Amino acid sequence: MSQQSTGTVLDTIIEGVRADLAERRERVGLDELREAAAQRPPALDAESALRGPSRDAVQVIAEVKRSSPSKGALAPIADPALLATAYERGGASVISVLTEQRRFNGSLADLDAVRAAVGVPVLRKDFTVDEYQIWEARAHGADLVLLIVAALTDEQLRRFLHLTHELGMHALVETHTPEEIERAVAVGARIVGVNVRDLKTLDTDVRTFGRLAGLLPQDAVLVAESGVEGEEQIELYASHGAKAVLVGEALVRSDDAAATIGSFRTAGAAARARRHASAAEAGAAAEEAASLRGAPGPYFGDFGGRWMPESLVAALDELTDTFDKAKADPGFTAEFQRLSRDYSGRPSLLTEALRFGAEAGCRVFLKREDLNHTGSHKINNVLGQALLARRMGKTRLIAETGAGQHGVASATAAALFGMECVVYMGEEDTRRQALNVARMELLGATVVPVTNGSRTLKDAINEALRDWVASVEHTHYLLGTAAGPYPFPAMVRYFHEQIGEEARAQVLEQAGRLPDAVAACVGGGSNAIGIFHGFLDDPSVELHGFEAGGDGVQTGRHAATISLGRPGVLHGAKTYLMQDEDGQTLESHSISAGLDYPAVGPEHSYLHDIGRARYEAITDTQAMDAFQLLCRTEGIIPAIETSHALAGALELGRRWVEELGAEAAAEKIVVVSLSGRGDKDVATAAEWFGMLPDDSAEAELGEKGERL
Amino acid sequence: MSTTHHATGGADLASRILPADLRSNPDSRLAARLAACREQGRPALVGYLPAGFPTVEESIEAAVALGLNGADVIEIGIPYSDPVMDGPVIQHATTTALANGFRVADVFRVVRAVSERTDAVPVVMTYWNPVLQLGVDTFAAHLAEAGGAGIITPDLIPDEAADWFAASQAHDLDRIFLAAPSSSRERLDLVVKAASGFVYAVSVMGVTGARDAVSDVAEQLVADTRAAGAQNVCVGLGVSRRAHVEEIGAYADGVIVGTALVKALADGGPEAVGALARELAGLA
Repeated sequence: MSQQSTGTVLDTIIEGVRADLAERRERVGLDELREAAAQRPPALDAESALRGPSRDAVQVIAEVKRSSPSKGALAPIADPALLATAYERGGASVISVLTEQRRFNGSLADLDAVRAAVGVPVLRKDFTVDEYQIWEARAHGADLVLLIVAALTDEQLRRFLHLTHELGMHALVETHTPEEIERAVAVGARIVGVNVRDLKTLDTDVRTFGRLAGLLPQDAVLVAESGVEGEEQIELYASHGAKAVLVGEALVRSDDAAATIGSFRTAGAAARARRHASAAEAGAAAEEAASLRGAPGPYFGDFGGRWMPESLVAALDELTDTFDKAKADPGFTAEFQRLSRDYSGRPSLLTEALRFGAEAGCRVFLKREDLNHTGSHKINNVLGQALLARRMGKTRLIAETGAGQHGVASATAAALFGMECVVYMGEEDTRRQALNVARMELLGATVVPVTNGSRTLKDAINEALRDWVASVEHTHYLLGTAAGPYPFPAMVRYFHEQIGEEARAQVLEQAGRLPDAVAACVGGGSNAIGIFHGFLDDPSVELHGFEAGGDGVQTGRHAATISLGRPGVLHGAKTYLMQDEDGQTLESHSISAGLDYPAVGPEHSYLHDIGRARYEAITDTQAMDAFQLLCRTEGIIPAIETSHALAGALELGRRWVEELGAEAAAEKIVVVSLSGRGDKDVATAAEWFGMLPDDSAEAELGEKGERL
Repeated sequence: MSTTHHATGGADLASRILPADLRSNPDSRLAARLAACREQGRPALVGYLPAGFPTVEESIEAAVALGLNGADVIEIGIPYSDPVMDGPVIQHATTTALANGFRVADVFRVVRAVSERTDAVPVVMTYWNPVLQLGVDTFAAHLAEAGGAGIITPDLIPDEAADWFAASQAHDLDRIFLAAPSSSRERLDLVVKAASGFVYAVSVMGVTGARDAVSDVAEQLVADTRAAGAQNVCVGLGVSRRAHVEEIGAYADGVIVGTALVKALADGGPEAVGALARELAGLA
């Protein structure tokens, strides 16, 4: 059998490997190995382990290595099992064990000890030159073997890889040059490594990975090997697309290997997230071809950014950094999913509203965010941000609220996390929503009535920002909607994306196809951006945002920001605003306190400008008619905010009937974000519909003639 | 269109954000006034009053009184519907001004009066949306024509200021950006390189308002801002008495007084503003 001749250090090592191999083969025959291999439980799936839980995750292959030809003795590893356990605890996805004995001072005994100690896949790291070693690896419980392209002929490489896969294992196929990458791809390698150390000279150049990155097969798991001294190299490799990094020396020399692995993974994931973010930006520039999903900010087209006092920039930077790292941290996403499932009650249902649909003239599916704990979609964002606040070591949450839904959700999260909570609420709203004020106080929050300006939601945000400027060291501002300065719009959307993702899967399952339209109400626009997100890349699905038209857009008393506003800067973002010609913010008006906001999230401004989503105004009267219709046809009392989306769905149905005829319209499907339940609105609705006796407590709540 | 730059690593923040041809205006009127004060061995007295409070005419008289009684630089504030950096006193004043019919164009009348009737150097302090709505270049042109020397921008950071860089250069105006105790070294470097005239150091984390003691973080911030290369650093937020002026003047190039003057105006009219200015300037 022919051997690739390399004429170098590698040759010398392999000579020794062959000699040792011959000696072992004398002691243990291939049949005996086969039998031992058959006794082993099946190999673990190293490929999946290295792909990790998410796109941005970077995995660590942590190596048990006593010495190396380039550095000599590295560390006296008294107990390889103990070290491997620390690696596993730190989040290593694969443990690599050197078994070459002459230069690396490794052994199969080390492999055995590690295999017995850890539950993650184990790589037998050796210079594989014979099938015997592959059988041997499996017999000793390895899940992965190393195949160094430079040391093998094409024929050997193909045969060895085949055998590895046949035994249920995976191979890390190691390359160092463009030609070797080509050969690895030709044999179908699924895990491709680039060793930045030249095995022929032992020279290391960390830039090698980046230089070769463009040639690597994008569907394989890409592994960077060697050269890691700290986070800097991890970030470098990850920024060039490495999915996993093999680290030896930096870990065996580390005082706290587990912590080092954790920091490497976090740094790597952040670098990958940045890489994807910039790729997304470049993609957005390529316009139509690009995906609209997951837009990272800070800008959405011309909108977004950070129009904020310098005093808050450090906090926004910290938040951005924490959020980027958290997104890429499987521990964080798992905790968020656990809370969403076990605390909020996700996934929320998708209910077909048959009787309401009959009135609308089309099929209507309701995405039931009203069934979440606290009664609206707001809890999604609040739990996510509270987790981030805890990560940042902040112990105090502040929030603004209009109708009180976000304030109640924030107070809830603060209670759950044991944090202090202060909620700013326009004085007008504290009076109109006295019941929600009591709910927040029952949950332990302090509610501060805001008496500045128009005494509504926008002024509550101003007051919360003033608090934050002075308290930023220990306080997180839990902004309740997908507006404000970067990273809030992208971050709030991220926590609500599950609405759209669930809805898309549910409607496909229940109706067998995508809907024709999605409808949501838009104040700041968090529930809307959450449900839109699931369908942004489905061009056949129309996206409709329904703003508060108040008394009617012609009256001036409304909150139809996109429909009638123009771009400006408020609360940290460039976006559509209701403003006078001097740029002074106008007071908005709506029967729904939650939509009573003169700005809108910047991503909506962008979706409006590019025509992907359409925004229209719904008057108070239309909303209240739809409110009553849902109550009477489906037994569901919706929030008044949500009723704007329901009225919008009725409007869509009416248009379909008009344009297509009743029969065709009846086949049309609209998914409505039922963003919240209407318990809080009972007094307002009863007042609207004239149900309250003049001397009732609810009637007294409002001023004479006022709609509560 | 400006863009926000937040990525870490790579070239430093300032060189990524700032236009290569940005001038630091070392000889501007504002810089020259600060240099003259330094030569006289005293800090510049920088006074703030909102335009239009309680009315446009009275705000003109108050600003002129300020300029005739020892203020070196006068910040004319534009009342705005959503003043997130202001405490109750200034909020009350600007809300009153708006209720009394203040229009953004009125600010240029106040600036012109200060420029024509006093030796003080007038600048405008404004939240950014009113400037954006008039048009950044148009606003700059009007301000320069009225005799204004620059704009203080409490909610505009250099990261978003591309249009302002262009307009300020075109109309020879100074760009007074804020530096905060929370600003990182990299951001201080950015602010210092983006600014001209002076850098406005926020002496406490919080909104405007008179305080009994000025935070000791101010001195450190001034030192850090100088270390980042600033020629002139003025300290604001919390100054109400002559003792504060002396204390801050020991390490800063200028001392900014706002809330105390607004309160004086509310309580005693333009004469009270003049009297307080004399006291703060050490002339009384």
